[in-house]
Amino acid sequence: MIASILPSISPGTLLAGGVTAAAASLWLLLPRGRSAAADRASRWLGGLVGLAALAAFIATGHRLGNLGTEAVFLTVALVAVISGAATVVSRSPVYAAIWFALALAGVAGVLLVLGGQFLGVATIVVYAGAILVMFLFVLMLAQPAGLAPYDRVSNEPLLAAVAGAVLLGVLSLSIGRLTAEPPACCLMPGTKAALLAGSTAAAETPGAATAGVDMLADNHVARLGGELFGRHLLAVEAAGVLLLVALIGSIAIVSRGAADAESVARRAAR
Amino acid sequence: MTMNLLADVVAPAPLVIDGLLVGALLFALGLVGILARRNLIVMFLCAELMLQGISVSLVSWSRHHGDWGGHVLVIFVLTVAACEAAIALVFVLQAFARTGRLDAAAWQSLRESNLPRTIDRELPSIDTVPPKFPKLAPAGVEPPADEDALLEREHV
Amino acid sequence: MNDLSPSTLLVLVPLLPLLGAILTVALGRVLGPRAHLPAIAGIAAAFVVAVTLLSGMAREVGAGGTGHDHAAKPVELVTTLWEWAGIGTAAAAGDAARSFSIPVALRLDPLTATLLVIITGVGLLVAIYSIGYMHDDPGYPRFFALVSAFVFSMSMLVAASNFLLVYVFWEAVGACSYLLIGFWFTKPEAAKAAKKAFLVNRIGDFGLAVATFLLWMTYGTLNFHDTTLADGTLVPGILGATRLADAHAYVGGAIGTAICLLFLLAACGKSAQLPLHVWLPDAMEGPTPASSLIHAATMVTAGIYLVARTAPLFEACPGALTLVSIVGATTALVAALIGTVQNDLKRVLAYSTISQLGYMFAALGTGTLLGFTAAIFHLVTHAFFKALLFMGAGSVMHAMGGVIDMRRFGGLRRVMPITAATFLVGALALAGVAPFAGFFSKDEILASLHARGWPDAHGEHHEAAPAGGHAAVAGTFHLVSVTPDAAQLAGGTRGSALDALNTPSTWRLLFWMSLATAALTAFYTFRAVFMTFTGPTRVPEEAGHHAHESPPSMTVPLVILAALSAVSGWWLFSTHALASFLAATPSFTAPAVASTATPPAFHWNLAIQGTLAAALGIVVAALGHLGRRSDGPQMERFLGPLETLFANRFFFDQIYSALIVKPLELVATLAALVDRRLIDGLVNAIAHVPVAVGSVVRHLQSGLVQRYALAGVIGTLLIVLALVARAMG
Repeated sequence: MIASILPSISPGTLLAGGVTAAAASLWLLLPRGRSAAADRASRWLGGLVGLAALAAFIATGHRLGNLGTEAVFLTVALVAVISGAATVVSRSPVYAAIWFALALAGVAGVLLVLGGQFLGVATIVVYAGAILVMFLFVLMLAQPAGLAPYDRVSNEPLLAAVAGAVLLGVLSLSIGRLTAEPPACCLMPGTKAALLAGSTAAAETPGAATAGVDMLADNHVARLGGELFGRHLLAVEAAGVLLLVALIGSIAIVSRGAADAESVARRAAR
Repeated sequence: MTMNLLADVVAPAPLVIDGLLVGALLFALGLVGILARRNLIVMFLCAELMLQGISVSLVSWSRHHGDWGGHVLVIFVLTVAACEAAIALVFVLQAFARTGRLDAAAWQSLRESNLPRTIDRELPSIDTVPPKFPKLAPAGVEPPADEDALLEREHV
Repeated sequence: MNDLSPSTLLVLVPLLPLLGAILTVALGRVLGPRAHLPAIAGIAAAFVVAVTLLSGMAREVGAGGTGHDHAAKPVELVTTLWEWAGIGTAAAAGDAARSFSIPVALRLDPLTATLLVIITGVGLLVAIYSIGYMHDDPGYPRFFALVSAFVFSMSMLVAASNFLLVYVFWEAVGACSYLLIGFWFTKPEAAKAAKKAFLVNRIGDFGLAVATFLLWMTYGTLNFHDTTLADGTLVPGILGATRLADAHAYVGGAIGTAICLLFLLAACGKSAQLPLHVWLPDAMEGPTPASSLIHAATMVTAGIYLVARTAPLFEACPGALTLVSIVGATTALVAALIGTVQNDLKRVLAYSTISQLGYMFAALGTGTLLGFTAAIFHLVTHAFFKALLFMGAGSVMHAMGGVIDMRRFGGLRRVMPITAATFLVGALALAGVAPFAGFFSKDEILASLHARGWPDAHGEHHEAAPAGGHAAVAGTFHLVSVTPDAAQLAGGTRGSALDALNTPSTWRLLFWMSLATAALTAFYTFRAVFMTFTGPTRVPEEAGHHAHESPPSMTVPLVILAALSAVSGWWLFSTHALASFLAATPSFTAPAVASTATPPAFHWNLAIQGTLAAALGIVVAALGHLGRRSDGPQMERFLGPLETLFANRFFFDQIYSALIVKPLELVATLAALVDRRLIDGLVNAIAHVPVAVGSVVRHLQSGLVQRYALAGVIGTLLIVLALVARAMG
């Protein structure tokens, strides 16, 4: 739809423009230690430029065919990206944490649309539920009142924005060159995806018997669990040990740190 | 199952490409954040954002190849991210205990011995002028100080 | 000894002193005060062997009789030890003669035998003398090792049968001379004198080297003797029997004259002739036995040996021969003049040596058999009496506690009678008083000069030295064409410009110069004798308790040499032993030399002239310095401004210093400056570059982790960009 508005611009130029606009918007949005008015102005401007960049990216994206799916995907993707940008540029760390929670929601939505049912929910549970809360606790303990000076400046904002833009450009370039070939999965006869892809051609491809997993089947979690505890059993066990180690390690560091602080305080008192 | 239906009705390839784009965007945003922001907590938040981007990319590829590998990897990414966050935040608290600040630039002792310490320039003040309230003469006896109130902070 | 062949004996002569030197070096510290034993044993054994060889050769010469043209037949014995260097064998056809081969070969002939006896004999006496003289010196073993090494080098030099070997041992004796002059190297004057001697000799060595190159180019070989290649072809040596038999085998003209002049340059350097004589007076800084051996009897005679050996080559260039005589006679006169005003006894003897060597060169340059024989005769007698005089001076110096200035002591004949007597004998021999040795040899030299100056008076038909009239070579040799090609010989038809000097009037002038020199010789010699040994006895305080006669180890050699000085001349002359013996030397049997042979005669008029000159000199010396006048006003007063000229040695040293030494020092200073400022400065500047770069790059290391991360990310992005660019083509 949006592509039809700009028919004359090639995807390559659009992408380049989008990347440049993204860099400029990030630079404008990052805290650079200006006065309050200048800061506000640059943030407004940065926001506008950022929206333009997003529009360029959307224009180069591929059409999904189904309007409903496209609308849902676009919504959750925008939520994720805009919240992510807000996380990065928020002056107050608490606001950043809140924006991050929203970004997590968006990411979960994207994952669900992509067919990762378990992972979408796991993201919410683990990240937003546990990790984010941990961050907030630390903020409560350590963040000074008001905006600290180091929250209002950035370290080399221009270079960082340019680096990010270059990375984004390279990645978009590579992604844009992927051909829209039907994947190996979901070509089993009977699935709607196969119907859409033109199953007659797919049935003749060699290795159709070894076609991939259909993520969208009903027993998604069960099959994921079977894969996890089947092929990747050792890795699961290792991950368990890793969690244990992290647990013990964090307690050990904290307790030593406490002991150190006590001895320092005792020595200072003497 | 709504999601199933939604995912079911579209050809996977364009969805994959779009998913990859989103992943790339999130990753790039997280990278800029780590490089630019000075607050340690915000730096780690941006690291987590990068990991989110990675997760989206992995799931996209997994959808493309019809293989559980991407999903499995994301589960492990999740696990490791949790451990990493735990340890990292412990370190952040230690750092705060040493310097009293959550500033990444507070740690400069690994610089060359004859370079001076990098000090921020003077920032323009953003505090609004506090309203001038009339000063009343004190009357009565001041109540004893409330310990909890002393520990209270106005806002974070 | 009977089962040892002459070849083995010939090898033993240099070998035994070499072993002595090696043993002295190895065992010197262990032997302590007996460190002289290996050296003296080596030299004594070598002397015995040399005498044996001489007697054997004399018998062979006597038995050989005369060959055609009444000339003596050449007698030689060649021993090849091994091939030292060889490039290319006789495989390449047509180029066989150009194969470079240097065999270590020794050749024994009458000239070599004579010189070997002189070298080892005088060397033995000097070594015995040194036992007493160097008695207290801390470098005692080093001295004997050096003396032994010197005897080895000199023996090899006169015995070598190849020009390259001659060059090697020429350098070797120069090195031994340097080490001996600078024996007390902690004394700055000694070190400087050694350096001067070596550097001045170097100029001569350069001449010898270039001459060797030219010889190779001209004659295709450097051997004296004839050699045979593997395929049977004969390579005629430069002084081999084949080439000597041919009257036209030697190249004249420009190349030949160049070779001869270069030989003359080398001889001037080694034998201290003008203009390279400046090193010999300074060489008196060395120990007196060294001076006696090297700078009187043996090393300085290497130049004489070289010219005598290459007589056939010189005969092809008469101009060069005349120049040899001119240089010799001029040197003799100049040195004698300088010697008249010297106050240092050893310096007087040094200038006397230069002067007598000049005499020998003057005789050599006549180009007649008489002249060559006279030069060698004088070499032999000079070795005896000059070594004697030097050792006597050493004895005096030893007794006077190191003082050798004649003005500070006198009347020593009462203190040291043996020294005085032997010194007197030596002085008489040097002055040329009959019947001592010097009289006969000087007489021969004057006779040879006189014969060239007044050819008719001698009544013989002298075939004048071939004045460059060579025809093209007739194919006398049935061998590989190593002869100088026709072009070279044809070039010899033109004489060199020096031939213009070869006139009888030149020879007459040289004769008168030599006669005047004889008078001066007598004068300064007896001046020294009178100042030292006559008059009231004065002993300087440095003598202390030393002022007595020297120990027998020092006086016995003096007596032996005195006896030889007294008797040898008369004996050798009257029996004509030396003349007939030397006539069998291959170099002297060349037609050009042998054709000038004259029957031996005693020239009465010349003898009378010589004796009158000597008597004049002695009388003037006596007038000035005898007896009570031995420390009184001296004859130099009458010379006026000439005295300054003589005392400053004709300003040779000053001229050399201004013309050569100072400019070289300037160049050296400039070079040092460039090295220090420019090159070192450049290196230092380069060293500053990393420091500068580092001080700039240092700012990257700020300690801020985020900046490090940024740098890492930028680097990674660059790599990714490169990979993507490559993947996209």
